[in-house]
Amino acid sequence: MSIQNREAFLNKLAENLGRSRRTEGVERPKWSVSPQWEVFKGATQDELVDVLEEQCKAIHTDFQKTSTADLENVLRETIERYEGNAIIAADDERNAEYQLDTYYQQLEAEGVEVHIWDAEKGKENQVFAERADVGITFSDATLAESGTVTLFNNKGNGRSISLLPKTYIAIIPKSTIVPRITQAARHIHEANQQGHEVSSCVSFITGPSNSADIEMNLIVGVHGPTKVTYIVVEDK
Amino acid sequence: MKVSLFITCLCDIMSSDVGKDTVEILEKVGCEVDFPELQTCCGQPAYNSGYLKESKGSMKQMLRAFKDSEYVVGPSGSCVAMLHEYPHIFKGDPNWEEAAKDLADKSYELTQFLVDVMGITDVGSNFEGRVTYHPSCHMTRLLGVKDAPMTLLENVKGLEFVELPVKEDCCGFGGTFSVKNPVISEQMVEEKTEHVTETGAEYLVGGDMGCLMNIGGRLTRNGKPVKVLHIANILNYQ
Amino acid sequence: MSIRIGTNSFEHRVQEGIKNDFMRGAVSSAQGRFRSGRLKAAEELGNWEDWRTLGEEIRNHTMENLDFYLQQLSDQVSKRGGNVFFAETAEEANDYIQNVIKKKNGKKVVKSKSMVTEEIGLNEALEEAGSEVVETDLGEWILQLDEDPPSHIVTPALHKNKEQIRETFAAKKGYDKTDKPEELALFAREQLRKDFLSADIGITGCNFAVAESGAVTLVTNEGNARLVTSLPDTQISVMGMERLVPTWEDLEVLVSLLTRSAVGQKLTSYVTSLTGTRLEGEVDGPEEFHLVIVDNGRSKILGTEFQSALHCIRCAACINACPVYRHVGGHSYGSIYPGPIGAVLTPLLDGYDDHKELPYASTLCAACTEACPVKIPLHEHLIRHRQIIVERENKAPKAEKLAMKGFAKWGSSPAAYKMSTKMARTALKPWTKEEKIENGPGPMKAWTDVRDFPAPSKQSFRSWYKTRKKGDEA
Ligand code: SF4
Repeated sequence: MSIQNREAFLNKLAENLGRSRRTEGVERPKWSVSPQWEVFKGATQDELVDVLEEQCKAIHTDFQKTSTADLENVLRETIERYEGNAIIAADDERNAEYQLDTYYQQLEAEGVEVHIWDAEKGKENQVFAERADVGITFSDATLAESGTVTLFNNKGNGRSISLLPKTYIAIIPKSTIVPRITQAARHIHEANQQGHEVSSCVSFITGPSNSADIEMNLIVGVHGPTKVTYIVVEDK
Repeated sequence: MKVSLFITCLCDIMSSDVGKDTVEILEKVGCEVDFPELQTCCGQPAYNSGYLKESKGSMKQMLRAFKDSEYVVGPSGSCVAMLHEYPHIFKGDPNWEEAAKDLADKSYELTQFLVDVMGITDVGSNFEGRVTYHPSCHMTRLLGVKDAPMTLLENVKGLEFVELPVKEDCCGFGGTFSVKNPVISEQMVEEKTEHVTETGAEYLVGGDMGCLMNIGGRLTRNGKPVKVLHIANILNYQ
Repeated sequence: MSIRIGTNSFEHRVQEGIKNDFMRGAVSSAQGRFRSGRLKAAEELGNWEDWRTLGEEIRNHTMENLDFYLQQLSDQVSKRGGNVFFAETAEEANDYIQNVIKKKNGKKVVKSKSMVTEEIGLNEALEEAGSEVVETDLGEWILQLDEDPPSHIVTPALHKNKEQIRETFAAKKGYDKTDKPEELALFAREQLRKDFLSADIGITGCNFAVAESGAVTLVTNEGNARLVTSLPDTQISVMGMERLVPTWEDLEVLVSLLTRSAVGQKLTSYVTSLTGTRLEGEVDGPEEFHLVIVDNGRSKILGTEFQSALHCIRCAACINACPVYRHVGGHSYGSIYPGPIGAVLTPLLDGYDDHKELPYASTLCAACTEACPVKIPLHEHLIRHRQIIVERENKAPKAEKLAMKGFAKWGSSPAAYKMSTKMARTALKPWTKEEKIENGPGPMKAWTDVRDFPAPSKQSFRSWYKTRKKGDEA
């Protein structure tokens, strides 16, 4: 795709920096400190689950912990709580792995509208998401410190699912939990260096949307989902 | 230990008692004190207002005055912080660079010197009264002296200490700021004096004469009974 | 709008600010909350100074190699189907964006919060060209409806109370409910949803672009930036040329510093990194993507002693720590960038003529420098500005110059200095009553208008010292 005005622009920067243009050979130095790696260093997976649970209180997010066998029940309860009559979920391999596909079929049989993201259907997905009560995705990387789920959005996991419905449920396989954003960022950095294309949208989502723009009052629920539940599930 | 007193121009002219107390405290803890008469002002009023050229004369005068001193100690966080800026200002100036570094390395604010260099936490003073303390901006943020004054005050017998709310907030002095932006300065010093009166303290103590003159002047203007003292006054009180 | 706001003089703006009780109360309590949030967030980490050092090192390295990283960034964006336009001036940026919209036959533009688009006056340019532009950040939307400039770089409508907001919604959008923040926000959600769904162009700013992969990262809480970048088919992101990091590893450090320093959050609700156009088979995201990289005066700062001002990550920690800002409010600065960073940046970007008061709107208390997560020595930059105003721009008041000439003589002459210590008390005698001066002469007036000036000591320190020494010797 086009790049315009680049040469003159960058030449001027080099000139003002008092040297010739650098087009290659710049190495990032080793920084003198690395405090980001100290956070929850050496914590076990169970300890990180506890950190995540604690942080959920600060970010107005409901926290659940369950086994694969019981996931369906916890999900059902949560959907009921959110008065979910129209549900949209990502098209994810893990739906089968965690037997969610059979659960979704069952929900439909019970009269709940369930829409699994379908790339073939184009904008229809968005239209459904816009009127859905609940959006459901898996977390690809979960950051304990900040209480963040990370989604590598793709053609099966549209950005709208975690954005347009009134409420959002993130299913968090326990093994996806890392101390903080540092580990997720390194993963992306290394994948990028190995030539893997970074997802067109990496979403770090931390609880429901909110705003403090009116007299600094915290309002939970603005443009994105107004309620969020995280369900941590023991891996298969 | 041989110590040269850096009196600071404000104390020299406005409140000689602070200078006297400083000398007596230093002698009491066993220092041999001298007063290099060639010293003038640290240059800060001009430097901070953007008059680099006009400030350098004073600075050079200070470098000359303290050339042979072992330690330089002054009763002001702000003025001593200014001395610490000299190496920066004279960087690349072959005539003064070395002297500037030398002066910065051997200069200390009074409480900093007592606690950090002499290792003294109790100067043996007695002071009856309810006291609050304003930690001035340059003392804490530029010079990095936060704990030393508190340590010394804690050990003054008879002194009842009350914490000043939002103590780290600037009092609105800012040197020429106080006369260049008097309207803003007024709001700031008003807020500060409100906090001071809130504490119910009889005395406001600080380590920088400029800030104390500012807050004190507002207190008397508003008819508030709080008295203003330099920390040297308290540390030398019996 | 451009960087400059309002036409009143600095003194006038300050007077207005100081009179505005609601604004001052709001700013003061906001500062309190921001401050404790920031301090708590820093404290939790325990080694905040290391974090600041790391932030500074990353910013420094990036700026020193800005040409390299911008080249890498643009290559990566282009590889991922995006167009990149390097704009030297505001006009160039606005023209380019107008053209993109024209080519797409775009009617409605939804925008997420972006200071750089304020700086270049993009909204006005687009409206002139016939587009409907809707700001979707709650604070920005309020200001847009009310045609009011921002007063803070993170919470732009900080100066407005909920009653005023209710009135604005009622007058401009037919709102008929209460002034409860929740109800006001819900109204905004409903109104703006329609705009999101019908917009054909989405415009965003950029908190950090990642050179190694071409990602544009947006840090928000409301979710509007995600909508702006998910629904419209064309996306344009506008970034100040310094807003980038080398790699994802650096990104996370700066994002962590930003969210903690800005709002005391470990991360905001949404940190979204977008790369190029949507991929094959994807439904959400733009099919056409443009990245506009703006200079608009920044390159002049490179290579000067002010270079570190470009390290700014727009967290507003310096603004939230500033006692001057607290009393005068954002609009007093006459710039969309208020507070300490505004006082440093505005004269650099827009010249001294209209902003020569800003570097003096500080006591040099250094609360800003202490708060800055990337260690920009803000108060030192203010002194540098003052030097330039005095020496190069020759814009200092005459009386001040005269006084400083006097200072220079006085400070370099021990004899003159000594004389003054002796004479001060006598000289001020005519104005002194009960050991204080309430109505000082000449330059002392500004001081005594506000507070008393103490009478100089009866005996100067020097004479005391001399007598004492004599006594010792005797
Ligand atoms: S100057 Fe520093 S503290 Fe101020 S907004 Fe920029 S990064 Fe934040």
